[in-house]
Amino acid sequence: MPPMNGTFCVTVMKDRCINTKMPGKCATCVEVCPYDVFGIDGAGSVYVQNYNACVGCRICAEFCPDDAIRINPAESEFLVRSPWTFPQVEEIHYKAQTGEYMLRGFGTMGHAPSFDNITVVPSQIASAAPLDKYREECNLEVVIGEDTCENPIRLRYPLIFPAMSFGALSKEARMSLAIGAAQTGILSNTGEGGLLKDETWLIKGYENEERTLKRWEPGGYLVVQWSTGRWGVSADFVRAGDGVEIKIGQGAKPGMGGHLLGAKVNEEIAAVRGIPVGSDALSPCRYYDVQDLEDMKRTVAFLRDVTDYKVPIFFKLGPSRPYADVKACVEAGADAISIDGLVGGTGCSPAVVTQGVGIPTVALIPPAVQALKDMGVHRRVKLFVLGGMRSGLDAYKAMAMGADGVGFGAAAEIAMGCRACMSCHTGRCPYGITSQDPELRARLDPVEGGRRLANFIKATAEEVKMLTMLSGHNDISDLSEEDLRAMDLNTAAITGLKLVGYERRLPWWEDERNELNVG
Amino acid sequence: MSLAVDASGRDLRSVSIELKEAVAKGPVVIHGAAYLHGLFAGFKKGEVIIEGDSGDYLGVLNDGATIRITGNAGRYLADNMTGGTVIVEGDAGYGVGQYCYGGTIVVKGNAGDFTAVMNKGATIIIEGNVGDEVATYMLAGDLVIVGDAGKNLGNYLIRGNIYVGGKWESLGHNTLLEEMTQADLVRLRGYFDEYGIKADPMIFKKIVRLSEKPFYKAKEPIQLECPRV
Repeated sequence: MPPMNGTFCVTVMKDRCINTKMPGKCATCVEVCPYDVFGIDGAGSVYVQNYNACVGCRICAEFCPDDAIRINPAESEFLVRSPWTFPQVEEIHYKAQTGEYMLRGFGTMGHAPSFDNITVVPSQIASAAPLDKYREECNLEVVIGEDTCENPIRLRYPLIFPAMSFGALSKEARMSLAIGAAQTGILSNTGEGGLLKDETWLIKGYENEERTLKRWEPGGYLVVQWSTGRWGVSADFVRAGDGVEIKIGQGAKPGMGGHLLGAKVNEEIAAVRGIPVGSDALSPCRYYDVQDLEDMKRTVAFLRDVTDYKVPIFFKLGPSRPYADVKACVEAGADAISIDGLVGGTGCSPAVVTQGVGIPTVALIPPAVQALKDMGVHRRVKLFVLGGMRSGLDAYKAMAMGADGVGFGAAAEIAMGCRACMSCHTGRCPYGITSQDPELRARLDPVEGGRRLANFIKATAEEVKMLTMLSGHNDISDLSEEDLRAMDLNTAAITGLKLVGYERRLPWWEDERNELNVG
Repeated sequence: MSLAVDASGRDLRSVSIELKEAVAKGPVVIHGAAYLHGLFAGFKKGEVIIEGDSGDYLGVLNDGATIRITGNAGRYLADNMTGGTVIVEGDAGYGVGQYCYGGTIVVKGNAGDFTAVMNKGATIIIEGNVGDEVATYMLAGDLVIVGDAGKNLGNYLIRGNIYVGGKWESLGHNTLLEEMTQADLVRLRGYFDEYGIKADPMIFKKIVRLSEKPFYKAKEPIQLECPRV
């Protein structure tokens, strides 16, 4: 790897440096450094003129006659001062000063088991030959609710924009998502913040409310969310979507309801949600109108009835007990299930919950898929995986493990311009994505945002297609665990994938008597 | 002459299709709906009378229809209603009028726990007593309880008014007992006259919210100025 700029800190100890004591006497460092890190002024004084140019060869320290130079790698504080890193110290100070716990937006920070230690197995001679990405066809379509509804959703790509509410996101960001989905033929989910009127025609590719000017082909799908806060929900809202999603939980804060802090509740959002301007909208953690699975089945029944049995019903799960939870969703009558992992993001959440609650995304898939297989509905009830998905590579791996598609939440925000500063909860998003401030919002152009999203989705879909074809398939539903290998023991242990080199699954995954604990 | 629909032993879908056609023609009387849940969901207009008891989620997402139940109502009556009127002659179960945005619910008997939770604008009148945790996180609208209430009444109330004729076991967080005004008396009298309730508005007590921002710190909305990048 080439040396990175700014990887090293250069320190000159003035009390030892000969030049500091006697300017003009020594300039060894200036002479030896090939990168001009040191400079010399007219009076003969040596100074550090460019820290960033240092590549860490330490030749200056080696030649310095009085050992006055130190070169330190500028490594993250997370490594050198952990666990008492700067953010940790600041968090304790915050609590000590205010008596309140920290809130934070975006998702989990730091390391969690991920798709990174999984590798894709390409086709060679022993398996079906690879297909030609440039000249052959590959089916990426996913159909949701084919057997159960009159109007199934036909996603052009196995990718979705998961639930991100109006309130957490700005109006412009919601519009961008709709335009992005319209250009790629995928779905966007309203989240629990009610329906933005513009979304309903933008999602179909129309520029105007009358639906006369069609600008974006092929048109996408809008899924409306039935959530625990039920903000802005009415019969019209439920009927406005091409699908209804019942939110049970989310990855960033499973076991808690949505948080929208007062700082983001302006007049428009207050009107949609029916709350005072500036007051916090803290959704309940559970449905007050559902006490058991029977009630959930009835909820699905009346939602189907209200929508005239036309649209699919989705469930959204947080990362908890994927096997049992997915089974329950299927029993309740789901057409598709989105399962959100530990890394899943949010507009706002208590920091400890975002950081420390839930199961990593990669570990959710095997039990969730097993549940679908045990119920005999795998690939019929669609499984979407959310939470920290970044690229076509992640998407491919999730689909080879048995998912039918993946959702890009944080990645979609980043595609709109976000730089992951993790301050969504403040309402001060510098890119106007998670802000309700008119001036900040003006920085996001919905059409440009939509174009970027569409580009991101198209490029990602191409990646999925490429990986699918190089492993010898022409349909994403043909992908299987055989197309993947775990690269370390931990990943092999939690996913049941074959371990590289060993070329077998770890023994306990083969033991069929070992039934999954449904607790 | 109203049309009759017999729902006993049938599934929701078939009854619903028949109802949609019948309601368009005029008032409908439904029999045998006690075990059918989610009936009459999301109607914008129409008039039905449920003869006898009803199941759960009756009139969910109701958006303008009038529903009268001659017997008792099940749980989650008129859940998430946005308009219309629901009148119950008997008692109602757990969770009457949760998540409602508008419309009116009148229960002549008693109602269960968690009534009017997250009510966002409906008028809910209970002539009998109510259970515990009533009007939790209510965000707007009126709740009138002619009888007594249980524990934690009005917990984390944000807006709206709770009028109680009888006693309560305990009040929830963020509640405040306020003086009844002339406007309150007029409003209550109006409700009582309209729905034939025998009660004296003078004995009622009014509970309102303490603060509109009870969670976290009472933060002000952001100042609308931003640093130039």
